[in-house]
Amino acid sequence: MRRVWAVAVNTVRQALRMKVAIIFIVLLLVLLPVMGLTATGDGTLKGRLQTFISYGLSLTSLLLCLLTVIVSTHAITSDIEQRTIYTVATKPIRRHQLILGKLLGVIVLDVGLLVLFGGIVYGVTVLLPGFLDVSPEERQQIDYEFYTARASLVPPEIDVHDEVMALYQRLVDKDQLRQVYPTLPQSEIIKELTARKRLEKRAAAVGDALMWEFQGVKPRGNDETLFIRFKYDVAENPPDGQVYGRWQIGDLRPLRDGTEMKTPIWPEDRKDPVRTFREIRVPADVVAEDGYLSVAFLNPALNRTVVLFPVEDGLEVLYKADTFTANFIRAALLILCRLVFLAALGVLAASFLSFPVAILFCLVIFFTGTVSGFILESFDYLGQGLGLFYAYTVKALVQLLPRFDKYNPTTFLVPARLMSWAFLGWVVLTMVCVKAFLLLVLGLIIFSFRELAKVIV
Amino acid sequence: MDYAIETISLTKIFSDWWGRAKVYAVDDLNLQIKQNEVFGLLGPNGSGKTTTIKMLLGLLHPTKGHALLLGGQGSDPKINARVGFLPEESYLYRFLNARETLDFYGRLFGLAPDVRRMRIEALLEMVGLKAVARRPVGTYSKGMARRIGLAQALINDPDLLILDEPTTGLDPIGTRQIKDLILKLAERGKTILLCSHLLADVEDVCDRIAILYGGRVQAEGRVGDLLREADKRQFVTSAVSDQAVGKIKEILSDEGAECDVTTPMERLETFFINTVVEARQQARPTSGAVSTTDIGDFLTAEKSQAGILDKLVSSSESTEAPAAAAPELSEVAPVETTAPQPDKDLLGELTRPAATSETEQVRRPEKPVPDLPQAQVDVPVEDGRVKKRVLDALTGSNPEQPDQPPAQDEPEQDGESSDA
Repeated sequence: MRRVWAVAVNTVRQALRMKVAIIFIVLLLVLLPVMGLTATGDGTLKGRLQTFISYGLSLTSLLLCLLTVIVSTHAITSDIEQRTIYTVATKPIRRHQLILGKLLGVIVLDVGLLVLFGGIVYGVTVLLPGFLDVSPEERQQIDYEFYTARASLVPPEIDVHDEVMALYQRLVDKDQLRQVYPTLPQSEIIKELTARKRLEKRAAAVGDALMWEFQGVKPRGNDETLFIRFKYDVAENPPDGQVYGRWQIGDLRPLRDGTEMKTPIWPEDRKDPVRTFREIRVPADVVAEDGYLSVAFLNPALNRTVVLFPVEDGLEVLYKADTFTANFIRAALLILCRLVFLAALGVLAASFLSFPVAILFCLVIFFTGTVSGFILESFDYLGQGLGLFYAYTVKALVQLLPRFDKYNPTTFLVPARLMSWAFLGWVVLTMVCVKAFLLLVLGLIIFSFRELAKVIV
Repeated sequence: MDYAIETISLTKIFSDWWGRAKVYAVDDLNLQIKQNEVFGLLGPNGSGKTTTIKMLLGLLHPTKGHALLLGGQGSDPKINARVGFLPEESYLYRFLNARETLDFYGRLFGLAPDVRRMRIEALLEMVGLKAVARRPVGTYSKGMARRIGLAQALINDPDLLILDEPTTGLDPIGTRQIKDLILKLAERGKTILLCSHLLADVEDVCDRIAILYGGRVQAEGRVGDLLREADKRQFVTSAVSDQAVGKIKEILSDEGAECDVTTPMERLETFFINTVVEARQQARPTSGAVSTTDIGDFLTAEKSQAGILDKLVSSSESTEAPAAAAPELSEVAPVETTAPQPDKDLLGELTRPAATSETEQVRRPEKPVPDLPQAQVDVPVEDGRVKKRVLDALTGSNPEQPDQPPAQDEPEQDGESSDA
């Protein structure tokens, strides 16, 4: 272990005395504070903070990822290319210890830099309002909607299978199926009908009401605040692009059952632009003792159109579940997971490739990883007809890609969403314990059995 | 068993991309190097010397056959712990300075911190890099890199030392130093594999040699046996008259032997070192301020050489070395206490701006160093005495054999550490 540590220290030293690490560090040290001053977002303080944290963290993550790839591959390939490996590998240290030492060094460096730059981003984010002229309302808004970590509940999916099948049958019976869908196969038609039915369940005609019920709403205290985050869509655009809405939020069961009301109901009439996320702030004491909450929306006659709530993100309940700081720390740890993965990837690449090729290899994987959702989908789509062969070869490989886009810290911090420990644990498990570990083991095996000296005759 | 190095039909074939055999770098090599032998592996460029060493150390996999180091595999850490290796060039981390380099390798050997620190200082002094120990190794000249490379090979006090072209890039004095070191280490029971095409070096130190060509051993045996011309005799006399020579010739012709009379030549190496010493002594009165990098390197090197050598030579069981060292210590002790400190400072100051190669500065002794403080200019007088002694000791021309102060405390400490 002491030897592994000696190699690790040496690797950190090498990275710091290599100009490239310094360039990255200086770049970040300059850019982060500048961004804090120049980021404006949509003009509001909240928008400004969101822009800063989004760009700041993304930039930190991107540059540290690049740095990790460069340092981890360089640490190993330079030893081989400059032949320092001759003097190192002939010392009483096993090759896997050597590689683990390098990896450890890269991770130590990453942790150090992440603490530094994460600290800067955090510091600027938290201190920025102090330098600005902030009205109490704005202060309250950012406290509720930015400096927090909110858990999210989405309405449970409504089972529409029976209805869809009935509809399908009706179309078949009436012999209209081929008129409506001339070319699609049956499965696609069902899919389409399901989507339509689901949307129907979330559409309110003029004068109609919609109600969603949530279980297990657990705000941290009764003096906390709940948020109903929603987005309108409309069948026909209103002239001013605004939609009226009459909301009732609270425990509506007594109204239905005719029992006594124990908790208040929060009514709110408002006018909001379409296709934009808006949030209704509600005191947490509207939640029933058992964590029940219902949200009702009435489409008033002032609107002349059907109002829809898109299925994916049309409506959710947000409530404070943790602090901004804790969420930020988890976000930084999420970035660390990426870096560990990339370090292991770099080690693997360097175990059999030379410096520029190894870096290229890692960068390809990295950028593929940042659009992995798209790639997975397209492979799934293209590979549908390929069957077993596809499922066990290409698909398995594609599954090994890191999911950098899905596990992106800014998608949590910008809307102040809770990143749960469970989520982080899952990322650690898949990205570090499984994927990075596999890469590392492969790299160790290759490195342990290869010839370290060059062929010189 | 009991060979320090043994190869059994060791073969390395380099093949091309298609797996077709291209070159037999080493071909069916059978070497047996005994413990405590200084073995020279000779051969022209590309004869397979370095490839053999790389296979011994596990850096290359043999195509066929086996290579055993100290009875085990060269990739085994237990074996590595007892081996010191200096590759054909000093492949070191360019961004580390000399002290950090040695510290790093010391850590790889798992040396305890106090042992490590002590050995680093001793080795730095020995190889004469103490004054430049804070400079990154990447800025070193080839000779300096070679010195630090040698130091890293010695940090574990190895039982087996593998030196690949140890003297390339070194000035004659450094070369001589390495050769002396090899001999001292051999005295102490170490095994040394020396790989070189500089024949003079090999001839001076090796017990046995093998000459490789085309990956095969072409000749092998004791140096004396191989080189002795058994059908000839040689006399060396002091200057005698032509008359006497004539008489001798007569006697010889009676026996029917042929005779060739010449004046023997001094060895260039000895001549060079003597010349350098004289030049330095003469230069001193004319311009007292001269003190250059190489003096520093060289001086510290010599002084400390004794230090480390004694340290290395006087293993705990040896009774001879401490006894030999004791009187010398008392003799030179005052010099040690007065001179070296300021001298080193001076050197340090000179080294930083100059940073040029050693020999260059030797040839410009008149170069003035105007802005040196007076106190420091005084030093070299004492300094010169030490240097002369040291040189004499080195070249063996001074019968007194004055020895070098740092030996004073180091042998004991190291004895303890190597015991532990």
